[in-house]
Amino acid sequence: MLLLDIKNLTIELETADGLVRAVDRVSLSLREGETRGLVGESGSGKSLIAKAIVGVLNSRWLVTADRFHWLGKDLLRLTPEQRRQVIGRDIAMIYQEPSRSLDPTAVIGEQLEEAIPDHLLTGPWWRRNALRRKKAIGLLHKVGVREHQRVLQSYPYQLSEGICQKVMIAMAIAKNPKLLIADEPTTALESTTQAQLFRLLASFNQLKGMSILLISHELESVARYTQKLSVLYCGQLVEAGETNQVLQTPLHPYTDALIKSVPEFQPDLAPKTPLYALPGSIPTLQHVPIGCRLGPRCPNARKECVKTPALERQQSHYFSCHFPLTTKGK
Amino acid sequence: MSDLLEVQALSKSYSKQRGWFGRQQIIALDNVSFTLAEGKTLAIVGETGSGKSTLAKLLVGIEKPDHGQILLAGQPVQISHYKKYNHVIRFIFQDAGRSLNPSQKVGQMLEDVLCFSTVLDQQQRRYKIAQTLKLLGLLDEHAEYYPHMFSGGQLQRVALARALILDPKLLILDEALTALDPTLRAQIVNLLLELQQKSGLAYLLISNQLRLVRHVSDSILVLHQGKSVDYGTTAEVFAAPEHEYTRKLINSSGG
Repeated sequence: MLLLDIKNLTIELETADGLVRAVDRVSLSLREGETRGLVGESGSGKSLIAKAIVGVLNSRWLVTADRFHWLGKDLLRLTPEQRRQVIGRDIAMIYQEPSRSLDPTAVIGEQLEEAIPDHLLTGPWWRRNALRRKKAIGLLHKVGVREHQRVLQSYPYQLSEGICQKVMIAMAIAKNPKLLIADEPTTALESTTQAQLFRLLASFNQLKGMSILLISHELESVARYTQKLSVLYCGQLVEAGETNQVLQTPLHPYTDALIKSVPEFQPDLAPKTPLYALPGSIPTLQHVPIGCRLGPRCPNARKECVKTPALERQQSHYFSCHFPLTTKGK
Repeated sequence: MSDLLEVQALSKSYSKQRGWFGRQQIIALDNVSFTLAEGKTLAIVGETGSGKSTLAKLLVGIEKPDHGQILLAGQPVQISHYKKYNHVIRFIFQDAGRSLNPSQKVGQMLEDVLCFSTVLDQQQRRYKIAQTLKLLGLLDEHAEYYPHMFSGGQLQRVALARALILDPKLLILDEALTALDPTLRAQIVNLLLELQQKSGLAYLLISNQLRLVRHVSDSILVLHQGKSVDYGTTAEVFAAPEHEYTRKLINSSGG
């Protein structure tokens, strides 16, 4: 069953120079128990999409969509109050920098206990506090923190970034959400802790059937832990499909460049040889080119590219390009 | 080829107040030695607190070592000579956007560097700035820009320009490639490799990304809690890591 079904999501910002379209008709769907990666460079609108899903964008942003369904209910048609209830029950999110998103003035124990909803505590009211504490300790154990006593009594600044991120995850899974959105969960972490966290997320997905939307700019780590992949460039969806398929036969020149620019995906590349790189840099949102936004940087752009290509599909593989890389001899 | 940089048994410890009278010694670097030849790249890998940044600080002379010495082209280096040898070793920080002065034009910033460290007159300085900008694929009019007018990749190039304008022999990149987007990172890596081939620059790359390290570096030094646990050519270390920690690191990156 489709958990999340978004079609043609557009997010615009009103500025002095007119409307700036930060996310341009992106479609995204997520089944129950699926892990999907959302890859794109900075400014491609990944975080905006995540924020639009949980509804934390402020009123300056205009969010429109043809379809924005969560379990069959259109989120954009609900009143803010109803919407908050649905999202508060089912969706949890982990943010980029854990030590900054935690409250610096309260100890971890307090914050974690606050995140546990009342309906999960079964017991008479006079035992509530003890149950809450017990549940908090259980959550910490679940995310792999052993010395719970010390962590519960610490303030965020006293803990390492990795532990803080684990606490964030514990807070996110406290209410048993159906969907966990992880917005660049590992940028601030060491490579050994990174692997640990990805394994943790993968285990929640397998053991509890929790769906995960993993947002990152690092293709290599996303590719290892997800089943489906969506690639964004500058607010446009360029390619989506099964992770393996996208990596093996990329149809969009941007995805191709992204894969080629990572040494890990090029095992026969000799050390110290130049990497494949697209010329130019990512345009700012005030000056995006018309049509396909990759246009000026694309190696095989032609006249037709000034019109935005429609999203086409080949089986379960979606792409939006006038000249897909199908004829590539491989 | 001769060794450009030789580091012998370098140690550094910090002391920290503990209680009323006690002091606690924190050993940041313990007996680290390595050599770096001209035109080669040495990667330094390790977790936070392993002493990577302390090592970089010692090399550029921000901190003074407790023991050991640093030899630059055979000559021992002392802190008092800093001005003399900052032509040779240059440093690039992690976040280019934050390490540039936002209220100063790029051209002015580059000129300041030349004013402080060279004896060129104004004509020569202007020529040098134009030349350096061209080398890094920037335009002449970029000298009139303020840092906020550049995109992330261009800022990294500006930071590189500031480092390269004195024609250094060694460039220390402290996590300078980590925060970049993949396609930009590929561009900068290509630029660095090209510069190395053209002018025989040596790099000291401090990084956490093993995949990149494997591609770019000639030799690798793994630091763990201030001690060097693995040191050798990149291919050797990746093929047969000696220490438990290195093995864990290589496994976790899938490298």
